[in-house]
This record gives sequence, C-alpha cells and structure tokens, in this order.
Amino acid sequence: MSFLEVFQYTRQDSIVHRLDPRAKLFLSLVLAVISLLFLEIFPLLIIIGVLIPMMTAAKSLRRWLRSMKGLSILLLFILIFNTLLSTYPNPLNYSIALILRLIALMTSFSIFFLTVHPDELSQALIQMRVRFEFAFAMSMAMRYVPTLGQEAYAIMDTQKARGVELDKGNILKRIRNIVPIIVPLIIVSIRRALSIAESMESRGFGASKNRTYMESLSFQKRDWAVCIISLIVLIMVIYIRLNIPLPDWSIPF
Amino acid sequence: MIMMEDVHFAYDGLYTALQGVSLQIDDSERIAIMGSNGAGKTTLVKHFNGLLRPNSGRIIFDGVDTKHYSVAELAREIGLVMQNPDHQLFLDSVEKEVVFGLKQLGFSEDEIKERTERTLVSLGIEGLSERSPFTLSGGERKRVALASVLATEPRILALDEPTIGQDASQKDKLAEMLMGLNEKGRTVIVVTHDIEFVIENFPRTIAMANGTIIADGPTNSVLSNDEVINKCSLTAPQLTQAARSIHKIFPEVPERLTLLSELEDAIVSILGGV
Repeated sequence: MSFLEVFQYTRQDSIVHRLDPRAKLFLSLVLAVISLLFLEIFPLLIIIGVLIPMMTAAKSLRRWLRSMKGLSILLLFILIFNTLLSTYPNPLNYSIALILRLIALMTSFSIFFLTVHPDELSQALIQMRVRFEFAFAMSMAMRYVPTLGQEAYAIMDTQKARGVELDKGNILKRIRNIVPIIVPLIIVSIRRALSIAESMESRGFGASKNRTYMESLSFQKRDWAVCIISLIVLIMVIYIRLNIPLPDWSIPF
Repeated sequence: MIMMEDVHFAYDGLYTALQGVSLQIDDSERIAIMGSNGAGKTTLVKHFNGLLRPNSGRIIFDGVDTKHYSVAELAREIGLVMQNPDHQLFLDSVEKEVVFGLKQLGFSEDEIKERTERTLVSLGIEGLSERSPFTLSGGERKRVALASVLATEPRILALDEPTIGQDASQKDKLAEMLMGLNEKGRTVIVVTHDIEFVIENFPRTIAMANGTIIADGPTNSVLSNDEVINKCSLTAPQLTQAARSIHKIFPEVPERLTLLSELEDAIVSILGGV
C-alpha cells in the first residue's frame, strides 16, 4: 500500500506548501481535467512532464518515485490485461495511455493532498462557505485514516492469535477470512465515533452560534497567479482538444 | 516449555521495545508479567505465538525455534487473549464466538459443544449465550473474548490485562478458572497491573522496565522489593505497607511481606503465640 504515500500530508516548507489550499484545489482539479481530456501517449507524457517539476517544487519527488514504485505491480497488471483483452485496434498503445492517465491523475491529486494540512483543508472549506460541521467532519475523517490502519493491524493480530490463517487458502477462503477483520473494524469505528461525539459535546461543541478561528486563509498574489494561469491553460487545452486535429501519435502496435 | 534467549525487538526497526530479554517458562507454571506502561510487556507476549518476530535472539518452544512455525501453528499450543475484546468479537452470538475459536483449531462437534458450555458457565456468562456480543457491557465483552480462547485450553495461555473492567467477584471467577486450567497442567501467563490479583494467584513474577527484565522470581520477593515497585510504577501491596508500619513499632515483624498468612503469623508471634 506504499503508493498511498503520495496522498499523505507531509510537513515541509516549499513553494507549493505555502500556496493557499483553495488555489491548490483549483490547480489539482485543472490538472486532473486535462489528464482526462487525453488518452494518447504523447499528450499524457507532456502532462506528466509538467507534473514532475511541480512535485520537485513541493520537495516530494523522492516520495513520488517511491509511490510509483509501489504502484508498478498494479500498473503492470493493467498493462498486461488491457493489452491481452482489449478490443481496440492498437491495444498496447491504449494500455500504455491508460497507465499514463492513471499516473497523471494520481499525481494531480497528490499535489493537493500531499501539501495541504487537514486543518488547512477544513479552514479552506469553511471559507468556501461549507458549514463548519461538515468541514470538521471532513478533517476528522482525514485525521482518523492512520488510526484506522493501526486498528486494522491490531485486529489482524488478534484474529491470527485465534488461529485464523489470513494468507492461506484459495480466493474464496481468503475473502471469507476478511469477515473477522472487517466486522470488528466497523464496530470499533462506530463505537469510537459515538464516544468522540459524546466527549465533544461534553466539551461544548456547537455551543456558540458564531465561531471565530485562530487562523484565517488569505489569497495572495501568487495564489491568484496560480488560479489565473491554471484557468488560461485549461481553456487553451480544451480549445486545442476540440478544434485542432492532433496528429496520430500512436505507436503502430 | 518456552525459552527466550537474548531477544531484541524494535518496532519498524526504530522504536526499541525489547532489549536483551532472556527467560525460561516451564510447563504448568503460573506467571505474572508486570511493569509500567511501555515497559514492553505486550511486545513480549506477542513474541510467544509469533505475532512479532525477534530482530535478534531466539525463542524456543519445546526445543524448536519458533521461527519454523506460523502463527496459526503456534496458536494451537499457545493461546493469547489481547487487551481489547472488540478487536476479537465479530459473530452475532456469544456462543458462536466461543465455537469459532474451537472450530479454527479443529475440535470435534461433541468436544466443541461440551467445552463451550463448560467455559460459559465457569465465567458466569451462560445466560448471555444467545445475545449479540455487541449489545453487552464492556466487562461482559471482555469475558466473552476470554471465554473464546480459554475454551481451547491451550497448553500455554497468555492473557493481556484480563482483569480490566472486572469487579471483584468476576476476578475471583477468572482466577478460579485459571487455577483449574493450571491444575490440568496448563501454563498460565498474565500481563497485568493488578498487584493484588498477582499476589493471590501467581507464584512467579517477572518485572519489566524499558524493554528489559529487572526482576524474575517468587512473587512475594519480587513485589516486596521497593526498587521493583518504583520502576514498575506500582503501589506496594497494602499488606506490605501494613507490615512496614508494624515493623516500625515491632521490629520483629519483617517489613517485606506480601501474604496475609505471613502477617498473621508475625502478629501472632508478637502477641506471644496462641
């Protein structure tokens, strides 16, 4: 699961980290939309060629490379199965494009998740006029992902100690083996959610109608610049996609 | 018999939890493992059944290095009840939960039925057998989790904090059950902070601090040692405290006592015998 690392916030000081989360959200969405506009190898390579310097600017290139290494087995599967089972005229061409699109999409979103602290995210949502309760729920959810992971490992240990063999048997047996893991995980999560809710209420959550915040985000010139450039690029790319016939870049097999 | 030889372990290779633990546990012993939070007690018991594997050192079970066995294989001989019952319970009735553990280890139908009934009765939860574990109280869930492992009667039984959330009478029932298993030749190991529970039921105590064993021996001598008590963040047993106060007035009463009978004898001897 090491490829999920690119979606985990890391505390660092970089140009990308300092950007306003709203600007980064817009940037990520634009990059993702552009990645979805193309399913040919060369345009996607260009997009990735733009994304990699951004990762470098976020001082996270090594982390990105590690994640891609973790993802490589999955990518290889996609490549092999799509090439073998595809009905497209150039199956290999098509599968490579699919893989590149997946990488481009992941990287686009990782620029956001890698550099936005959960607190910043909820503050950004609040300033985008999302109700505080929802914004808070969102940042709580992000906060509890690693906790849930630890819990899952503890549950696996407990079940293994009872003689459950998680990594043995055929596929059916393995699927059935998930039950002793997933049921306690859900129950424990619900229990915890209830007790968090109770303890929050007993500490006065929601007691005052008008909340004030320790920090507030402010859009700076560079944030406007990022948004405007993203928008211009998006419009240009859409225009190119719709009106300019692209040469046939596909490799002939 | 379990032997640990100079076992070192660090979580993720970074966070040192055990540094050079060696011990020997013979068949049909009753042992308590005590120590402050973070001393490495749980890490230690997780090594018994292979949930954790040592970074260096060896763990030998009946003469064979445990690295040759899988956790499932070790689970047949070494039962481990973890702290949090909610990590274990997943079926919709208490009875099914107990049956599940027995089925995993391949007991016959009759055996399963007989053992389930016996275990539920001895832990006082026979009335709950049709209930869903998720509707039970914390203490009851704890007992169900205990029951599901106790029923398998493993040769070595390790319990992590079994007395949490149990009232005095439940503790007595648990102790009785553990004694019963021990009389059948089973080894019982508990990890606990409950000093009275240890004094009453466990002849041998292993005290841990900072990933090492700081004392290992007869419970009354380990737990009447001030240094051990301090390092394990325990409060000296009330009986020992009482003995100390009496010792100040009557020096003939020894200050290191843990058992009621010892104190009685001492007092009787001060009074000139009866």
